[in-house]
Amino acid sequence: MGSELYAYALLAFPFLSATAIAFLFRRNGLVASGISVAAAALILATALHIIFRLENFEFNVHWIELGSFSVSFGFLINDLAKLMLFVVAFVGFLVHVFSLGYMKDDPNKARFFGGLSIFMFSMLGLVMASSLVTLFVFWELVGFSSYMLIGFYLGKPSAAAASKKAFIVNRVGDFGFLIGIIMVFSMFGTFNLTSLSEIFSGDASLLQTASVTAIGLFLFCGTVGKSGQLPLHVWLPDAMEGPTPVSALIHAATMVAAGVFLLCRTGFLMTVDALTVIVWVGVLTALVSGFTAIAQRDIKKILAYSTVSQLGYMVAAFGLGSLVALSGSGSHEHAIVTGGVAAAMFHLTTHAFFKALLFLGSGSIIHACHHEQDIFKMGGLAKKMPITFWTFTLALLALIGTPFITAGFYSKDAILALAYQQDKVAFSALVFGAVLTAFYMTRLWKIAFLGSPKSEGADHAHENGLVMTIPLILLSIGSIMGGFVWFYPEALRPIILIGEHLAHGENHTTVALFGGAAWAIGLVVAWILYGAGAKEDRLERTAKPFHTLFAQKFYFDHLYDWYVAKIQQRIALTLHFIEQIVLSGLIVRGMAGIAGLMGIGLRSLHVGNIHTYVYWFIGGLVLFWVLAVGIF
Amino acid sequence: MISLEQYIVVSSLLFAIGFFGVLFRKNTLVIYMCLELMLNAANLALIAFSRYHGGMGGNLFVFFTITVAAAEVAVGLAIIVALFRKRQTVEVEELNELKN
Repeated sequence: MGSELYAYALLAFPFLSATAIAFLFRRNGLVASGISVAAAALILATALHIIFRLENFEFNVHWIELGSFSVSFGFLINDLAKLMLFVVAFVGFLVHVFSLGYMKDDPNKARFFGGLSIFMFSMLGLVMASSLVTLFVFWELVGFSSYMLIGFYLGKPSAAAASKKAFIVNRVGDFGFLIGIIMVFSMFGTFNLTSLSEIFSGDASLLQTASVTAIGLFLFCGTVGKSGQLPLHVWLPDAMEGPTPVSALIHAATMVAAGVFLLCRTGFLMTVDALTVIVWVGVLTALVSGFTAIAQRDIKKILAYSTVSQLGYMVAAFGLGSLVALSGSGSHEHAIVTGGVAAAMFHLTTHAFFKALLFLGSGSIIHACHHEQDIFKMGGLAKKMPITFWTFTLALLALIGTPFITAGFYSKDAILALAYQQDKVAFSALVFGAVLTAFYMTRLWKIAFLGSPKSEGADHAHENGLVMTIPLILLSIGSIMGGFVWFYPEALRPIILIGEHLAHGENHTTVALFGGAAWAIGLVVAWILYGAGAKEDRLERTAKPFHTLFAQKFYFDHLYDWYVAKIQQRIALTLHFIEQIVLSGLIVRGMAGIAGLMGIGLRSLHVGNIHTYVYWFIGGLVLFWVLAVGIF
Repeated sequence: MISLEQYIVVSSLLFAIGFFGVLFRKNTLVIYMCLELMLNAANLALIAFSRYHGGMGGNLFVFFTITVAAAEVAVGLAIIVALFRKRQTVEVEELNELKN
């Protein structure tokens, strides 16, 4: 039996589930959730089979053929895809289970689970895609499912606006991505990732050309949109309007990481110039969103900005590592996995564990506090929700990179080690970003969990059922153990191992010292600054201007609003005016007007009197005669 | 012996009567008869030419014309009868439904 059958099955389960829910069980939440969770379980089983039992393989069938232009549909399962498959299937399954509890009383449960299934379908297709076109199709599909699920709460105007924003902002990035894909085809005549990588490994001089740099940057546009990099990160925090399991699955663990995955898939065509841009976009994103997270009050917004910041780390890791590989010791041959890919994917994996856990934990809190999301209205949750508290704490420790015992420490260490090797400025910026991470997460933790409850909802909070806590416990194991290679099964090790080696590289001690110091400084400063279960933000009083800047998210939204309202809208109005006058007025209406005038003229000949027609007839005959005789 | 010219004159007169009839008469039935008159004027001319020419081509054409005219009369009269049943008139001035 061919390996591709399993890949097809992996796509078929969620697709059939989504179809069944859409057409048969739209009103039956119970059946719909059952189908969707069963599909997720089958996906996990199939994915594990592909990862452990099957060799790496590639499979292509012709899909579209137009003359010399041909597009194939296929699967490319290599170590990279296997690792990503594992993350998507594992986290996806846990989120499905968690949702059973979280969405228990929602009247639109069926629509929610249908959305989750269509997302799983698109995401798995994206991970397995063997060509840029297939990848792009599924890339758009995950964007669509994200749009659908962000706007899940139809009654909330803010949710509708957020889903629209996510869709539009992503379009901006995807436009660049599409241009990149078209350029790839026009230069190399193929969309297939393997063929492209062979072309590039066959001709090293390609990496010196400006057009390849342009391709790299255009493809990176897709990442900037999907993975929330500066300046298109604005949609991701707003996307938190969706249900919390969606935030955990789509907007923390998997879809937003698709951009990083794309970079890793196309890493072979990145030139030094493109990589430099990528590094600095990543570093800036990590810093800016880190600062923004400091001043947010909404627990999900804090986590969202933290996600953006960690994605910045991954992107920077990819850039730095690939730069090391390009400039490097000469021992580097065009392996599929460079240090950058390894570090980025390592962090992506551990981040998927602990950030999904943080979101699910925050979902558990929000669920228990009757949809209270403001951390300054929580407080004292540690005693009321022990399992949520402890698992959340473990994930938080992993995110802030607690030395030696958490996954986040090792994966961040790998990134910092690359930065140390390649670029000291980026290194210091990333270390500072780590300080910020520790700071804002400690702030959240101390204010939400310690002290005493500050709102009715928090007062009545109680621990949720097993359906919601078991996924938390499983993910917390990943958050702690995910940093150690021996935690992973053999099939997933190749990439993690390289990442792990980076963390234990030559500058190991220095880097670990910096990482540990960042952790300690952030933790201690936040601990001193914020009282347990504080009622108000102390930063707001002590450093008002900075706080305002951070709380207003560096005015990105204002800037875009201004741009859209004042510049784009005016251009659009001008174009509309021209369109109305010239196109619609002169050309369209003008043509119709000429035809109309001719109609009016000709109609006057139609008098409805047979005698008149006879005269016309005679006139016609005379004309024929004149022409036939040749008088004219 | 009647000369060709005389035949042609009669034929032209018949044709002219028919033609002006079509132009000026108001009754559809009369217009129809005038049309037939024009056809027969042409038939007369054809036969006269055929006779003076000595060939049978003209006679052949006349047979055709008579056959077609017979069919045409059958259809045309049926239409006029149907029209009269529906509108109670066959005056062309009153048959201007398409105009309005």
